[in-house]
Amino acid sequence: MKRISPNRPGRYWILLWMLVLPIGMYGQSELEPVTRTYALTNVNIVQAPGRKIDLGTVLVKDGLIISVGKNVSIPPEAMIIRADSMYVYAGFIDGLSRTGVTRPKEETNRERPKDPGNPSNERAGITPNTDVRNLLNPSDKAIEDWRGAGFTLANVVPYGGMLPGQAALILLSGRTADDLVMQTNTGLYSELTGASGVYPNTVIGVMAKWRDLYRKAVNSKNYEALYASNRNGLERPMSDRVYEPFFPVIDQKIPVIFKAEKLLDVQRVLTLKNDLRFPLILAEVKEGWHAIPKIKATGSKVFLSLDLPEEIKKEEKKNDQKTEEKPKTPGEIEKEQLEKRRNEAIASYTAQAATFQKAGIVFGFSLLNTKPKDVHTNLRRMISAGLSEDAALAALTTSPAQLLGMSDRVGTIDPGKMANLVVSDKPFFSEKAKIRYVFVDGVLTKLEVKENKKTDASVKSEIEGTWNTTTQSPQGTTTGKVVFKKEGGGYSGNISSSMSQETMALKDITLEGNTLSYKYTLSFGGRSVEVETNVTIEGDSFKGNTSVGTFGSFPIEGSKNPK
Amino acid sequence: MKKMIILVFLMEAIGTLQAQDRGTILIKGGTVLTVTKGTLENTDVLIKEGKISQIAKGIIAPAGVRVIDATGLFVMPGIIDAHSHIALDAINEGTNAITPEVHVADAINPFEVDIYRALAGGCTVSHAMHGSANSIGGQCQTIKHRYGVYDGEQLKMEGAARTIKFALGENPTGHGRRDGVQPQTRMGVEFVIREAFSEGKEYMEAWNSYNKQKSGKGFRGAPPVYSLRLETLADILKGNIIIHCHSYRADEINMLMNVCRDFGIKKVVFQHTNEGFKVAPELAKFGAMASVFADWWAYKLEVYYSTAYNAAILARNGVVTSINSDSPDLIRHLYHEAGKTQKYGNLSDDEALSMITINAAKQLGIENRVGSLEVGKDGDVAIFKNHPLSIYGVPQMTLVDGVVHFDREKDAADMRIMVDPKETVDIPTIHQATTHNHENCMQNMEWLLNVKMFGLNR
Repeated sequence: MKRISPNRPGRYWILLWMLVLPIGMYGQSELEPVTRTYALTNVNIVQAPGRKIDLGTVLVKDGLIISVGKNVSIPPEAMIIRADSMYVYAGFIDGLSRTGVTRPKEETNRERPKDPGNPSNERAGITPNTDVRNLLNPSDKAIEDWRGAGFTLANVVPYGGMLPGQAALILLSGRTADDLVMQTNTGLYSELTGASGVYPNTVIGVMAKWRDLYRKAVNSKNYEALYASNRNGLERPMSDRVYEPFFPVIDQKIPVIFKAEKLLDVQRVLTLKNDLRFPLILAEVKEGWHAIPKIKATGSKVFLSLDLPEEIKKEEKKNDQKTEEKPKTPGEIEKEQLEKRRNEAIASYTAQAATFQKAGIVFGFSLLNTKPKDVHTNLRRMISAGLSEDAALAALTTSPAQLLGMSDRVGTIDPGKMANLVVSDKPFFSEKAKIRYVFVDGVLTKLEVKENKKTDASVKSEIEGTWNTTTQSPQGTTTGKVVFKKEGGGYSGNISSSMSQETMALKDITLEGNTLSYKYTLSFGGRSVEVETNVTIEGDSFKGNTSVGTFGSFPIEGSKNPK
Repeated sequence: MKKMIILVFLMEAIGTLQAQDRGTILIKGGTVLTVTKGTLENTDVLIKEGKISQIAKGIIAPAGVRVIDATGLFVMPGIIDAHSHIALDAINEGTNAITPEVHVADAINPFEVDIYRALAGGCTVSHAMHGSANSIGGQCQTIKHRYGVYDGEQLKMEGAARTIKFALGENPTGHGRRDGVQPQTRMGVEFVIREAFSEGKEYMEAWNSYNKQKSGKGFRGAPPVYSLRLETLADILKGNIIIHCHSYRADEINMLMNVCRDFGIKKVVFQHTNEGFKVAPELAKFGAMASVFADWWAYKLEVYYSTAYNAAILARNGVVTSINSDSPDLIRHLYHEAGKTQKYGNLSDDEALSMITINAAKQLGIENRVGSLEVGKDGDVAIFKNHPLSIYGVPQMTLVDGVVHFDREKDAADMRIMVDPKETVDIPTIHQATTHNHENCMQNMEWLLNVKMFGLNR
């Protein structure tokens, strides 16, 4: 591990950490709502996939759905929301993420322990006794961001190594950590992640350790049962904080939730399941279609990742005629073939959900590696790759409710269920649909519809020159200086900011009409974070957002320096 | 409920069997190098459902069976590499001196193009080994090169003997010196192995005694603490696992034989064994086997005292000897490596070919299945233009279980099975870089290579 020198971007590192610390800035208003009764009127109600009421009313009271239908009488205390011709769905459910979970402080100068073969459980990433409830931060901005994307419940897990701890299903709205929690210990979370520099370091070490721990836990549990039945003449069983969290898994009461992105991860996890016979939820699966027969045979549950590989942008063929004249070189032919295979791979990833649907597997979605702004686009890509809209909706609502054992409370719009609702102005899966209202546990969030400052191709903006920017983040205002230069058909540029002495080169600078975007990489402490800025230009100023890796998205403004 | 579980088990078992391809095919008119039963001119080999069913002249192909015309070609058993690290995502769990509980079977990567390249060199079976970073490394997996499958399970050679990697000398002591733990010297290596075996023995005895008492009337007591590590060591002591020991020097080879004698362990294969020629009679007497390089040495201090006559000297002294690759490059031309024993040692054709076929099979405990062309054995075959031991020998076709997995005439440019949607491949190298070929046995152990040890590290 690299050491961080004190006068290098270490300062930036600390500032970034502050972004994820609870600050309370995003806490909700302290005022109680005037009423807890709401009536959504004149709305198209999609109660569940394939079950629809045209233009009816949904009545919500005290966190519950009271009535649904065409002839619902509205009590006088109800706040009426005229959702004329809008669409209401059951609130979406995320199968695996770390929304609202505080990231642990990384020890920057962690030394190798004296005996790397026998590290402490904590150092080895074995902390199954960690309860994610102790790490929840209700003012985490991610909660608000995901709610804005239509998600009302998330199955969240701690950060960590091979056994980070116990998952909990949380509501994406609440004032305190306890407010958020809907269901504790929804599973024991695990990854095939090795501990750096100590045992178990590799996947073979992790899998061996997993078998060893599980069998030790089984023996420990059996002995406790023997002791409980008759204590006389037996040594007392040792209490063990690592084995005990396995007990409900061994009793088949809760599943192991295993992150398994790639095909080989899925197969390795299934090998462990076959060896040890624990109930399993595979989560964040990105490449699982070849494992479908095994997934079926083992009765494992699945959350597919909502993240998709980016599509390759096609280069505009302006010089069509010229290329036709020249015969292709072997290099060009090879490049074409390689690109074809890559496109096929991207297509397979995009079609994964459709493939699982065809195979008749019930699946939900997990958001561990997805950004809120990509949800809608990715769902639409999956649908155009063959996933039916009903199946997509099921994977957001009824299926995760079923997989997490919550069908009696959430997943559909039926009287008696929790008032977790999403309202979009158009059918949710249509291109221009925007979410307007979200109810979490009967609490309303009204979403601002962003002004339609869409790309105006007719405007020709000129960005060459120096821009001064200010970014608002929880720890204050950051100023920066961005320089753009014309180069070839596009632009090059760099950025320096009040946070870092270094000047960083910009990449992927795209200017379309009046919308500008650019990226750069921030490096600190041996890590690097992608920063992506998207702004709309108006004359000599711009406004927009800058997203800093997984730390969140912050408003940015800029103005051009007059020459 | 139990019945249901058994049924599920059965269905799974059938599922895996069906998934593995077994071919029926007739190879006609070749010069058949059986290795164990002589050379048969103008002879046919019939493979039925993956097994060799007949070797004779003038076999008539059963209806609908594909016929390969091998006229003028040489037909030999698929080559077996007794020491390799291809098709693995993890090689060294080098964080502790003793890690027998880890198993490379958990890290098989069936998508590695190296498997196909090995097939292109006539190699059908390899011994995917744990690395040599620690004294008792992990368990190894014998794999069949059924390239094209999507599940690592299907590469595993079903029924192959269990094997485990041990390592002596500079690699494990380098580990100890870096971490300030045992072993830091060759004495330390002997000590940690003896200590591990002693603990394994105690564990085995504790469980034996518990299991005996448990059935007794009115028994009250706690079972011994389960340990996958000690369980595996006990399995070695019981003779259920063959030791494959990375070794170079004669003194350390003698040391391990002495340790094994003391613990009643009989199944030992020495890997590399560069100074094996010094202790060939002792190896033969013990019944230990040796897997060596043809002519590869001087890459660190402990491998300076070496000779290209090593394989021939060992063989002439009655030691079952194989020649291995330990490299995704050499695995593609093990037939050249075997041919070197004719230049250095005048071995006969069959003796030389044994080094990369039946002898390797014996070392892996699979000699009843592969390693020669005999009726009843697996249909693993390599077909060569010109004699495989000739410098002009070129593999034409390679079959595993009677299925053609490599055909020189249909050799596609891009043989990747899975494509990473995020990876941009540079032209013209489409494959994963296989630099550091010869350092694979030290994968994940780069730190060790950075330690300046006499400046002789590779």
